[in-house]
Amino acid sequence: MSKVTPGSVIDRALRETASEPERKPKMSAMARRRSLTGWAFIAPAAVLIFAMNFWPMIQAFILSFKTGRGNKLTLAEPLWYNYERLLHDDIFKQTLLTTLLYLIVQVPIMLGLAMVLANMLNSPSLRFRGMWRTAIFLPVATSLVSYAIVFRTMFGTDGFINDLLTKLHIIDDPVNWLGQTNTARGVIVLGLLWRWTGFNMILYLAALQNIAPGTHEAAKLDGAGPIRTFWSVTMPQMRPIILLTVIISTNGTIQLFDESYNLTAGGPAYTSMTMSHYLYEVSFHRNPNFGYGAAMSYVILLLVAIFAAIQVRLGDKRD
Amino acid sequence: MRNFRKGAVLAATAAVTLALAACSDSSSPDPSGGGNGTPEGNTLTVWAWDPAFNIAALNAAADIYKQDHPDFTIDIVETPWDDLQTKLTTIAQSQAYDELPDIFLMQNNAFQKNVINYPDLFSDFSGSDVDYSEFPAGVTGYSTVDGANFGVPFDNGTAIDALRTDILTEAGYTVDDFTDITWNDYMTKAKDVLAKTGQPMLSGQAGSSDMVMMMLQSAGASLFDADGNPTIANNDALTKASEVYTQMVKDGTFLEVNSWDEYIGTLVNGNVAGTINGVWIVGSIQSAEDQSGKWGMTNLPSLDGVSGATNYSANGGSSWAVSSTADVALAQDFLNETFAGSAEFYDTILPSTGALANWMPAGDSEIYSQPQDFWGGDAIFSKVVGFAGQVPANNTGVYYYEARDAVSAALTEIVNGADPATAFQKAQETVEFAMQ
Amino acid sequence: MTNTLRQTGRYGFLAVAAVLSVFPLYFMAVSATNDSQDVLASQLTPGGKLIENIQNLFAAQDVVGAFWHSTVNAVVTTVLALAVSSIAGYAFEVYHSRAKDRLMWVLLLAIMIPFAATMIPLFQVFAQLGLVNSTIAVVLPVIATPFLVLLFRQTARSFPHEIIEAARMDGVSELGIFFKMFIPTMRSAYVAATVITFLAAWNNFLWPKVILLNNDYQTMPMLISNLLSGYVTDYGALMLAVLITSVPTIILFLALQRSFVAGFTGAVK
Repeated sequence: MSKVTPGSVIDRALRETASEPERKPKMSAMARRRSLTGWAFIAPAAVLIFAMNFWPMIQAFILSFKTGRGNKLTLAEPLWYNYERLLHDDIFKQTLLTTLLYLIVQVPIMLGLAMVLANMLNSPSLRFRGMWRTAIFLPVATSLVSYAIVFRTMFGTDGFINDLLTKLHIIDDPVNWLGQTNTARGVIVLGLLWRWTGFNMILYLAALQNIAPGTHEAAKLDGAGPIRTFWSVTMPQMRPIILLTVIISTNGTIQLFDESYNLTAGGPAYTSMTMSHYLYEVSFHRNPNFGYGAAMSYVILLLVAIFAAIQVRLGDKRD
Repeated sequence: MRNFRKGAVLAATAAVTLALAACSDSSSPDPSGGGNGTPEGNTLTVWAWDPAFNIAALNAAADIYKQDHPDFTIDIVETPWDDLQTKLTTIAQSQAYDELPDIFLMQNNAFQKNVINYPDLFSDFSGSDVDYSEFPAGVTGYSTVDGANFGVPFDNGTAIDALRTDILTEAGYTVDDFTDITWNDYMTKAKDVLAKTGQPMLSGQAGSSDMVMMMLQSAGASLFDADGNPTIANNDALTKASEVYTQMVKDGTFLEVNSWDEYIGTLVNGNVAGTINGVWIVGSIQSAEDQSGKWGMTNLPSLDGVSGATNYSANGGSSWAVSSTADVALAQDFLNETFAGSAEFYDTILPSTGALANWMPAGDSEIYSQPQDFWGGDAIFSKVVGFAGQVPANNTGVYYYEARDAVSAALTEIVNGADPATAFQKAQETVEFAMQ
Repeated sequence: MTNTLRQTGRYGFLAVAAVLSVFPLYFMAVSATNDSQDVLASQLTPGGKLIENIQNLFAAQDVVGAFWHSTVNAVVTTVLALAVSSIAGYAFEVYHSRAKDRLMWVLLLAIMIPFAATMIPLFQVFAQLGLVNSTIAVVLPVIATPFLVLLFRQTARSFPHEIIEAARMDGVSELGIFFKMFIPTMRSAYVAATVITFLAAWNNFLWPKVILLNNDYQTMPMLISNLLSGYVTDYGALMLAVLITSVPTIILFLALQRSFVAGFTGAVK
């Protein structure tokens, strides 16, 4: 299961930014019993998360210090051999850059688009609101394998997109979308935009509907135009949810696998491949080098954690 | 009310879950000692892909085996190759060999990697009755490690040059003009066909090294030497092959498309004058029923100026492997009596699936020499069996996929203008890095 | 900018966004009514081949079985996930303590590692327990996710503590408070969690394909993978399968969408 559902670290930032009432520790017998009940409620989830996630993560960590192929694994000399090897791996470095490129390009566009759409859908004068909302959210409900097949067909040299663009005289010759580095990456970015903008839009919409209308009124009375109102009044109140979506999207993009695997197969020549996809290749497609793959996965974990920490540090401001 | 309902649903699903879990059977037959023992049971579990091809063949084989073993049953689990490889790797890494089926299908290219890394997945055929002299040496070579056989070849990957005879006629050529020729000759004729009919001779997935690999193998060359060292840089045949490929792309006689689906599209929608691929491509070609009678088949062009060049090659193909926890006696007997020993079996599957045998005695049968209407009355099947015997062997090795990927990447760069020597040197270094 | 111009701009933009969003789905639906050749030629108009595709698809694959298994997996996952994760999230908030905060942070680490790395050790766990090839194996790894726990923790933040205190004084048990008061009040959060969890479970591909080794448990995504792996792919049947796979999640969303938006509103507060 993709643990990186867009809602996934949603509340992480929410937790950071929402105020935390300090509770006075009452160590009465009643309170102690209640605290135990609390732990009892948490226990099933915590035990499961430990068994299903942490135990394998620990195994993977140990594995990252081993070399060898297949299941003939021995401790590496020196222990950090795999991590060092990553520094010399041209393909890994390529996937690292590509993944970061997706992050820098796709996330801002997607969130910007989502914000614009959410604002439009929030306007009371808009008609058919439910219809727009549903249409834009539908891509989120489609299965991954499904949309990859459809996109591949649509962006083929003989596919619909080329047909359309040629008919509209925007291009003369069919574009080789999936066969050139920049357009292949572009198709992945388009796929991500298509799939996740709706989700973020709904989040922003929910947040917008929570903003006190009084603040908008006040701004209008002060003579502020719509754009000024947006920047000075709306955005600051949206900060928590914006931080949320930034963190989720970052997490999801750094760990991106499905689009690279299904849409472009990492092509051409590894230039649209993401780190997680390369990890999968190293483990399952090539001569299996699980120690190396494990080291790669911990580098990914480190990147996600660092980005998340930076984002929380920067964005978590209490007004 | 609501919470009661929720509680009830919870309890119900918990109960269902436990029941489902209890019903699942995760054990498989005990491992046998292997070799010529007596079969332990009557059922074989097989993992294979493609219901129209491999699985249809399995069912036909089961029917034939049942003639002498009426209690026999077969349980086929449809598993795409990629997923099968993932499952095998997962099982081997977790040492959960009980989860293996009795028989599984495996791509020829993957045998070396799997047998060498995970020998505990397999039972070899040393104790079986399979007569390997009845299979072409080049094909059994894929599944042979240290002199022991680990697979029974099935799916024939012999390469063919399929041609649209109507387009050729329009340009003033026949199939014979493309038989036993060299690539230089082919390229000249291809340009002529393009000029006269507007059709490219070939199409293929951009970034796929299939075409170049076929050319390489036709000259008896490989990406690795006998000791397993990569021979990508300074590889005469490879360089020559990439030059041919690049030239054809430039001439417009090789149409590069972006996905497998598109490649098939060019064939069935009549956008190319031919294709060079393993004989299994026949199934896709024949799915365009409106093109019946308009196709012909011949052998491949050979590389000019390369010693050992031939007009024959292969692409793909797979073989049956027996797992280590299988009912080995039953599995090997089953395979021996059908895939490795029954002319009747091959006669049955040929018309219905188009599945060509690697098993040489099958080629002698009448069915193979029947004229095929789709191919203008040509007896293509016996033709291909003839080709198969002349395909040079090649070395794959455990790093085969790394090497193929590196060559694909190099090819993409070369098509975009890079110098072949530099590109292949880089590919060699990539593979050497992967081998550390 | 006049009002009409702004209106046109607004509706125009939305229309473009809506069309772009829906078009691939339209293509999918239309392709399901065409034959393989036409799909490859990107035909955009419906053909008459729907019945034929249905027949071919159902003959080639056990669609009913796969649909059933996918449904069972998704429903069981969703119900168990809501049960286990919501009570944990509730507890993290209502029985708040520093230790619990730290634990929440630690649990969040679990989503930061790519699944491909933990897949094999996880498989080993189930192999040793003898649970390979079972619904339990498919469901267990995904029912307690840090995300869901966090979602419910946030939701619990807007649950008034006065209600809890009042209930305690009335002698209601802790469990009773959770079942009788929290769940009914936070209905929209549960609906939101249902949609998200069901979506993820329904479309889950990587883990089921590794842990399910025989025909008894094949899911819809696995079925689609089967269709793609032959020498000859019937693209019409493939698109039909893809359509069938997408329909339940679309219907679920349509049915629950209003509550879905309100659910996140509650968490955002």
